[in-house]
Amino acid sequence: MLKVLIPTIMLFPTIWLTSPKWLWTTTTAHSLLIASISLTWLKWTSETGWTSSNMYLATDPLSTPLLVLTCWLLPLMILASQNHINPEPISRQRLYITLLASLQTFLIMAFGATEIIMFYIMFEATLIPTLIIITRWGNQTERLNAGTYFLFYTLAGSLPLLVALLLLQQSTGTLSMLVLQYSQPLQLNSWGHMFWWAGCLIAFLVKMPLYGVHLWLPKAHVEAPVAGSMVLAAVLLKLGGYGMMRMMVMLDPLSKELAYPFIILALWGIIMTGSICLRQTDLKSLIAYSSVSHMGLVAGGILIQTPWGFSGAIILMIAHGLVSSALFCLANTAYERTHSRTMILARGLQVIFPLTAVWWFIANLANLALPPLPNLMGELMIITTLFNWSPWTILLTGLGTLITAGYSLYMFLMSQRGPTPNHIMGLQPFHTREHLLMTLHLIPVILLVTKPELMWGWCY
Amino acid sequence: MASRLSRIWPTLSRVRLSAALGSRCVSQTPKSSASNAAVASDLQPVSPAAQDSHGHAEVSPFEKNPDFHGFHHHDSFVDEWNMRLAFFFGISVAIVIGGTFIHYLPDHGMRHWARREAERLIKQRESQGLPLMTENYYDPSTIVLPSSGEE
Repeated sequence: MLKVLIPTIMLFPTIWLTSPKWLWTTTTAHSLLIASISLTWLKWTSETGWTSSNMYLATDPLSTPLLVLTCWLLPLMILASQNHINPEPISRQRLYITLLASLQTFLIMAFGATEIIMFYIMFEATLIPTLIIITRWGNQTERLNAGTYFLFYTLAGSLPLLVALLLLQQSTGTLSMLVLQYSQPLQLNSWGHMFWWAGCLIAFLVKMPLYGVHLWLPKAHVEAPVAGSMVLAAVLLKLGGYGMMRMMVMLDPLSKELAYPFIILALWGIIMTGSICLRQTDLKSLIAYSSVSHMGLVAGGILIQTPWGFSGAIILMIAHGLVSSALFCLANTAYERTHSRTMILARGLQVIFPLTAVWWFIANLANLALPPLPNLMGELMIITTLFNWSPWTILLTGLGTLITAGYSLYMFLMSQRGPTPNHIMGLQPFHTREHLLMTLHLIPVILLVTKPELMWGWCY
Repeated sequence: MASRLSRIWPTLSRVRLSAALGSRCVSQTPKSSASNAAVASDLQPVSPAAQDSHGHAEVSPFEKNPDFHGFHHHDSFVDEWNMRLAFFFGISVAIVIGGTFIHYLPDHGMRHWARREAERLIKQRESQGLPLMTENYYDPSTIVLPSSGEE
């Protein structure tokens, strides 16, 4: 664990002491090296349970895929931001990359935490760099509103979580995940316990986000600069899923009844947000609502608490993280050229940017869950386990899959096909950097087809 | 043929499309916050240098440096080396070496072994005419049950 955490912390001296000319080169190379080292986490040395490095930080088959995704995403964020941050004064460039690196550090400690309180503190800590990135570097005045929504939705959800965790500490004497997985099932039979159950989960449901409390997400994703959108979509949403999976082990047997309304909300959210996607004019907003839709499926899979549900949730989280981030990068390339997120403004791009059309194609195919990509495998596992729980869910999930295919295709056809308007003809060609960025997003998704057991978690 | 088409296409498209689009290039949707937000607004006065890099309004960086890779606008040496290092560490190290490492990871939980062993046993038992699995996992004669008369 430290062999990744220490280099990540050493990114800060790298950022501030490198000469301005080589800032982006060194940070890109440094973070790619960290990402390569993080792949060693995939070697699980124990057959079950945790690969401990010490009492406070450990990895297990649930947290490892998310950790590797986090470490992989930092160089991608740096690559994506390079163009639009470059004109700024050098200290602001350094500050920007510092915020990204600090997010990385908090996220590694969050996913690797063995104490739930440490996970909670890191969960909250990730809010601060993200808030600064959205409100300082966002492009429209709405970014202030977006930052407010983002901050207060998450805080309002996580304050009950703090109370719930302190109560848990009081009753069990420990908050270490290493110990709690072996503790006796709690006696949960009163109304107070039901509120405690809700308190444990609300923060993560807001973060995921669940459909009823999802309003912060389109605002935050749209107003954030590209690196902010990438990290939000790819990793921060997964903090919610990860937290839920960790807390679930302690919340039985109440979850059998209490999860019902949340599962229904999640499933309904898939349909509703999918339908909203079909009516979007703003490209980033479409991708943001698509994230809500996919995360609704993940939330349903986790709340079902079956092995297939958990495995499907992890697979879908990883696959969605990579693909959603890829789509935001593509949207940003259009934004940097036209300075608008309106979809009908940047249309017919295939004729001018043929290779980029390939990236758009693959990213959209992945988004609509084309086999054999892991997006489909995760979705199928969750849909199957939901069907096993109640056959009626197939109506909602099947319709959701259909609508997902609909809006993904709509996004592709709208941006790539059709007549190319005149004002598009003079757009700047695509940079090698942007092609590399898309490659580094999409190749891992394709490679994961060959070794999915990396993502199956500990429930297989 | 293609070169001829590429020469007349701009005129053709301008004739065909501009007639249709001429009056429609101005947005006619009512001003709402959503559509306002979708267009970049000038929050701070931008310096001419920033304008250049952001909007590429005047000069495309490809004019000065035809081999522009998108990494550094003014220094082609840094741009080239940034590209090389990004590709090397991103693809050669992370994906190729990392992918090889992942490929050769040990069989965690003996899952692949279990599948191969099961297939081997199935083939073996089918060739011997034995059932694939016996009903009793333990030999029933070794199980000692208490008689029903005792407590």
